[in-house]
Amino acid sequence: MAHYVAPKQGKASQLIDVIVLVVLTLGALFVPLKLGLAGAAKAVETPVTDPTWEALGQTPVQAAQYEALGYTPASAHDLILARFDYSFSVGALVAMVAIIVLYYVLVLRFSDVEYREVISEKFGK
Amino acid sequence: MELWNYLEYAAWGLSALFGLLMLVDWLKTDSTYSEDVLTSSREGELEAMAEEHKVKS
Amino acid sequence: MSDVDITSKTMDGMGPHGTKVGLLRVLGPAHVWALGVGIVLVGEYMGWNFAVGKGGAYAALIACWFAGILYTCVAMIDSEVTSTVASAGGQYTQAKHIIGPLMAFNVGLYLVFAYTMLEAANAITAGYLFSVVATMSGHEAALDQQPFIILVIMFLAWLNYRGVLATLTFNLVITAIAFVAILVLFVSTSGILGGGIMQHAALFEGHEMPYGWIGVLASMHFGLWYYLGIEGTTQAAEEVRSPARALPFGTLAGIMTLLIAATLTWYICTGVLPYEFLGDGVNGSVAPLFDTARLSGSMGLVWLLGFGTLFATLASANGCINDASRAWFAMGRDKYLPGWFGAVHPKYRTPYRSIVFLVPIALIFALKAPLDQVITFSILSGLLGYTFMPLNIIMFRKKWPLNSIKRGYEHPFHPLPAVTLLALCAITFFAVFLGYGTQLVAMIGFYIVVSLWFHFWRYRFVNRGAQFTMPWPKPKGY
Repeated sequence: MAHYVAPKQGKASQLIDVIVLVVLTLGALFVPLKLGLAGAAKAVETPVTDPTWEALGQTPVQAAQYEALGYTPASAHDLILARFDYSFSVGALVAMVAIIVLYYVLVLRFSDVEYREVISEKFGK
Repeated sequence: MELWNYLEYAAWGLSALFGLLMLVDWLKTDSTYSEDVLTSSREGELEAMAEEHKVKS
Repeated sequence: MSDVDITSKTMDGMGPHGTKVGLLRVLGPAHVWALGVGIVLVGEYMGWNFAVGKGGAYAALIACWFAGILYTCVAMIDSEVTSTVASAGGQYTQAKHIIGPLMAFNVGLYLVFAYTMLEAANAITAGYLFSVVATMSGHEAALDQQPFIILVIMFLAWLNYRGVLATLTFNLVITAIAFVAILVLFVSTSGILGGGIMQHAALFEGHEMPYGWIGVLASMHFGLWYYLGIEGTTQAAEEVRSPARALPFGTLAGIMTLLIAATLTWYICTGVLPYEFLGDGVNGSVAPLFDTARLSGSMGLVWLLGFGTLFATLASANGCINDASRAWFAMGRDKYLPGWFGAVHPKYRTPYRSIVFLVPIALIFALKAPLDQVITFSILSGLLGYTFMPLNIIMFRKKWPLNSIKRGYEHPFHPLPAVTLLALCAITFFAVFLGYGTQLVAMIGFYIVVSLWFHFWRYRFVNRGAQFTMPWPKPKGY
């Protein structure tokens, strides 16, 4: 089988490739952040007015540790009561599974095509 | 109080220094040696020279 | 661009004998251990405690051990493959030889992202530590953390630039100190030497499982943080004196060290810090071991764990620069990325262009993104990589059965570790979905786009047969 000879890549083209990669990377990180879609924020659902350690659900031992750390019931209020929301829709879950599977199938499929070419060039038919 | 303000400046200065050291050496290296030498590293050098294989197929 | 053509007649397109300036083979097993544990140990000093927030203290312990199983599988699989494919680039080179070029490109990017993000997270933590020390020493105004974050990255990049032996010897020393600090804290607070301050039962009371079992699943997300990065040992392959022995030894010793450190850390911190405080790594306990030391009442422990935390972050960032640049370099060398990155410094023998290039990238993440997002991106890239590993080992055993090539290490019970690993990855994907579904989709969207870019554009610059450099027989079934 004839060897595939890769073209030389010019300096400008190399630079463009690097820029493309960097822009895509920054996009993947910052687009969800900027759109405010980055989840997992905790929220306080039922605030307590005039909090005491008991009202925040802390035993005396636990309260003592908080005080040792320099907290008062008021300053620890948000920290203690904030909770994650783990509710999710089945549709979103299915969509995520589909995307992950699609991604791996795509990568494995294309890889296999490329791999066969590599092997046949390296070892001959 | 004052100390940490000086340390902040020191950190800026040192960062710039390390950055500069790398940059200068990088440009010097790139202009001293040819691309051929610099990018001559190839994967699998050791394997190609030293592996003893029990090839059965 | 002038460049050695590895398809030229003298090299016949297959032989890798063109190297004039290559990486230096100077490292021993202790350096491998230091690289692996050094990157990860910071996970014990910060970040793992998000798992406590996700599901409570017990959930964090369950996650710690299940993630421990996951990483034991990773270490075993990695040790086997890498004792055979010993090359800079690690899993990238494995994927290239075993699954195919596009997978390899993706794996290479997972590595670079996981490590660069982790490096950014470390720099953020180091900057925070400096501000804490400033406050403790009586500095009244808030310290500007930026110069310290930049200094950490610049200094370590410079160290990496100057040579791998000094870099990893430095890592060995500071990692050992950080590990000993955890042991000392355990011995002096657990009551073994008298005067223990552990109150597990009283602190857990009423908060055993704040979210029930779904919290346990959710905490798997940050459970990975106890060990993330141990697979980076393989990046040193081209700089180790005898990779087939040193890599499995260093990696497996590393995972054992981490299992001990992770369990001790959980025990110490949950016995002293209330769970809501411990579980919030942003507003609560940024550095849980350090906070525990503060409550111990011993100034000596405060200083020891303060330095332990700082050293752990430095060791980790240092190892990350090392690993990310090796992966980036290896891809450049194969023209997966512009070949310009495949350069080795003629004097220091390091991939200097890759090291310098990744500095501004790390700085952008360290200065512009919040810590838990950075950690999540690191974890996600790692997780995609762990999902690749079982596929990798199954295909490796199928294409080259045990007796067909010489392996430095053969992992036991195949395919049980591969299947276990795959199952645990699926659980972790679900855990990430619970909190960070959008980022997960954005990340995978990114990888799909770059995969198409690679397949239809970038791959034309890659020589086909020449990139298969291992002296192996033809794979079965091709």
